[in-house]
Amino acid sequence: MTQKPTLTDEAPAVRSAPKPPRPPRRLGVRQVLTALRTFVRSQPLGAAALLLICFFVFVAVFAPLVAPYDPVQQFRRDILEPPSGTYLFGTDDLGRDVLSRTIYGAQTSLLIGVVTTGVSLVLGTAIGVVSGYFGRALDVVVQRVMDSVQAIPGIVLLLFIAVILGPSVRNTIIALTVVITPSFNRIARAETLRVRQEPYVEAARATGAHAPRILALHVLPNLLASVLTLGSLIFAGVIIAESALSFLGIGAPPPTPSWGLMLSEGVRYVERAPWLIIVPSIALSIAVFSFNLLGDALRDHLDPRLQRRALDRVTGLWWGRRMLSRLAPSLSRAADKN
Amino acid sequence: MSGSDVSVASGPQLADERAAPLFEARDLVKQFRSRRTVVQAVNGVSLKIPRGRTVGLVGESGSGKSTVARLALRLLDPTSGEVSFDGVDLLRASRAEMRALRRRMQIVFQDPLGSLNPRMRVLNAVGEPLSVHGIAKGKDKADRVVELLERVGLSSGDLYKFSHQFSGGQAQRIGIARALATDPDLIVCDEAVSALDVSVQAQVLNLLKELQAELGLSYLFIAHDLNVVRYMADEVCVMYLGEIVERGDGDELFADPRHPYTKMLVSAVPEFAPELADGRGRRSIPRGEPASPSDPPPGCRFHPRCPQAMRRCREEAPAMHRVPTGRAVACHLFDAPAAPADAEREASER
Amino acid sequence: MIGYALRRLGFGAVVMFLVTVFVFMIMRLVPGDAVSLQLQDTGVSKAEADAMRAEFGLDDPVWVQLWTWLGDAVQGDLGTSFYSGESVVDLFLARIPVTVQLGLMAMMLGAVLGLVVGVVAAATRGSMVDGAMRLFAVAFLSVPNFVVALLVLTGLAIWFAWSPPIVYTGPAEDFTSWAQQIAIPVIALGTGGMASVARLTRSSMLESLGSDYIRTVRAKGVRERVVIAKHALRNSTIAVLTLLGLELATVLGGTVIIERMFSLPGTGQLIYQAVLDRDYPVVVACTIFYAGLFVITIILIDLLYALVDPRIRSGKALS
Repeated sequence: MTQKPTLTDEAPAVRSAPKPPRPPRRLGVRQVLTALRTFVRSQPLGAAALLLICFFVFVAVFAPLVAPYDPVQQFRRDILEPPSGTYLFGTDDLGRDVLSRTIYGAQTSLLIGVVTTGVSLVLGTAIGVVSGYFGRALDVVVQRVMDSVQAIPGIVLLLFIAVILGPSVRNTIIALTVVITPSFNRIARAETLRVRQEPYVEAARATGAHAPRILALHVLPNLLASVLTLGSLIFAGVIIAESALSFLGIGAPPPTPSWGLMLSEGVRYVERAPWLIIVPSIALSIAVFSFNLLGDALRDHLDPRLQRRALDRVTGLWWGRRMLSRLAPSLSRAADKN
Repeated sequence: MSGSDVSVASGPQLADERAAPLFEARDLVKQFRSRRTVVQAVNGVSLKIPRGRTVGLVGESGSGKSTVARLALRLLDPTSGEVSFDGVDLLRASRAEMRALRRRMQIVFQDPLGSLNPRMRVLNAVGEPLSVHGIAKGKDKADRVVELLERVGLSSGDLYKFSHQFSGGQAQRIGIARALATDPDLIVCDEAVSALDVSVQAQVLNLLKELQAELGLSYLFIAHDLNVVRYMADEVCVMYLGEIVERGDGDELFADPRHPYTKMLVSAVPEFAPELADGRGRRSIPRGEPASPSDPPPGCRFHPRCPQAMRRCREEAPAMHRVPTGRAVACHLFDAPAAPADAEREASER
Repeated sequence: MIGYALRRLGFGAVVMFLVTVFVFMIMRLVPGDAVSLQLQDTGVSKAEADAMRAEFGLDDPVWVQLWTWLGDAVQGDLGTSFYSGESVVDLFLARIPVTVQLGLMAMMLGAVLGLVVGVVAAATRGSMVDGAMRLFAVAFLSVPNFVVALLVLTGLAIWFAWSPPIVYTGPAEDFTSWAQQIAIPVIALGTGGMASVARLTRSSMLESLGSDYIRTVRAKGVRERVVIAKHALRNSTIAVLTLLGLELATVLGGTVIIERMFSLPGTGQLIYQAVLDRDYPVVVACTIFYAGLFVITIILIDLLYALVDPRIRSGKALS
């Protein structure tokens, strides 16, 4: 040792009147506002998307107040009326107000989206975390099962389950949950494998922490960002899938106001009443667009490393990190260095 | 040196060690198997750490130092060998026993920021051992954590910060505070200062020394930097490709290295070998790179790089020899009194 | 390499077996079968219904049915349709050409346009053009393929009073009619792929443009256009190829809706109708066929990567 170091570090060793500060509250209004502000600054597009989503949620929740008419009320004298002051977006072949149906359609979409995404997020994450952390035979079995569910193209599996169970909102949710859970499993497992190797997990094991504690306090908090990001992107996918199912006539049954259903009812009047197609199309596309954009922004905002998973969302398949790391080995290596 | 007799494992300070060392490892072997290859990360390492002392472990990267650290704490299970802590056989300890023992042995990692959970406040990171072992919670835990933080040179103001708000040196202090939380007897420092700037290194090393003096800690101090190890360690073990090739008292070992590999390491550090630098002595310049641990050379693992390699070195693995001044060396040069001369002759003929 | 290929094939076989088990389980676990459906329509007697069940083997336990099916499948017999009585293999072969035409053209459209857009965006990174293209890519990803088709249909109907022919004719019989009918489906199926390819091309090009390797090429004084065209693009191709492989599943899934919308007699239409009719043999065969196609694509991609990156072969890299 050449130098004679002394204890004058970055932090002074002695401090007068050491009074511990009050513990900050976990989740107060101020914390949420600060988090929002940083998000808006770093991701203006994402913030715009968030605003749109808030708008959709508002419209969906307060549909009875916002919508000018009852969505299933048929005005027999005003069939296929073009947009006007009375019917802002016109009426359909049964004389129902398109605007009101679109607004209630948001309700259906959001309901199915929230329940499906929520259930499969919890389920898939739990499966992925446990399977990834404990590994071995359990992991192999669980992952092969998930692989095989994912090997069936989503729409085919959806069709299959939805038809067998019969058309209803509840069954649409069940079918979508089966299809989507493996995606969350996959990302949660990949993230668990990453986190499991972090020194802080090893440190926790070295102090003798039990697996449940490590999973709850170390693994879960550190993969939440990825899971939530995927959640936003999946939400977009669920909205599409729901409308596709009801478009095919095996989703929500009529007269439930659903965007897909409106589209399939409108196809016959393409020339006479294009608003029947255009209005729900735009509503559907903007909703999906907002969630996609929010997902993108969340990914960039929460963790720049997640950019490498761009592909997952892009394909709508979420075949997962295994494929991805092969896809761009240099990318993941560069990301690991950061 | 696999299968070497146990007695040679005791280096200097014989008297101390006979009074039951705090930690002892015997003939540790760890192999990692992948589909086609078997990596021999650790091959027959024996260690003793007396109470209140520091044993240093040096070697190039890939020599198996960190694996030894993990085996010592049973974060990994060895392929074979024995580990005991304060007389308790760690490999036969029940889960509950093991958990209780973990209070008494802790680890400080190389990557100070990486070893702190980015989503955890300092209070919970440092207090984690307290919660895990049910030692303290709530206000008691906070008080104890503040005490620990102040002990390592941080303050109560840092209690609710996250790891990204700290510099590397501060983060390492937090890591040390966490290791101290359960009043351990042994702390394994796995390259604990390697990632820090030199000026910060010295501060952290001094902190570790103070803590040792104050709390009577024992350290297993692992580093690749000879300077750091010499500063910290009472006894030094030099590792090469999973084996200990030389061990002895710290200062003496660096002043008078015996094993060709140790010589090579030492002569690469100008401060250690000034008499070599001016050209009077024969300077063994480091040459080559270590072989892959998945395919170690036969015989003495060092022979492909050894300037004094003999035919015998290629065929037969050397045993640990005790040489005067309380040193142990695993090298054929010390097989018989005449050997060194022969070897030099042979080496110069080549 | 061969060992690796065999392992991947083994993995594929396991997945395919699980898919089959999965499909059989769902099929039999739910109430209602083909016979009871027909019962509703025609009002056959209970005895007749039981006889029909026995004929189709529906009264056997699930695992017996599974085993019989697997045994037959290995010999190239995928069963016969409950409804038309035709062999499933024949039904399938008759409908494959349409789906293949549709899928290939959609993927080619997506790949070519996507590459162009992606390269332009990468070359003009940070500019307005780049920003606009990125936004458009997300926008295109957000419009479901059947909505694209609907909007195109609507637009053409309003402005040109034109709509595609309803009855499908093969390209050999009447090329113009065929082209008119298949154009919109191809566009609808291709846009999503285009957006994905554009995004991936852009990001992987930017990745390689920032790499040391490209920096060296630039330092040698190679012109920027050549750097982009020759070096960066080449490095991105494998990523894009992979994406296209994965895109196959999306396109195949899309054909189910699109073929129905435009009444194109492809496999998508077949599976849709079969699912509605609970025509078990056809549903099982179609689902497994689609899954098989996807698994094979995945394996091919894996092998492609193994060829490029030796670390994967030895199983060392990437858990």
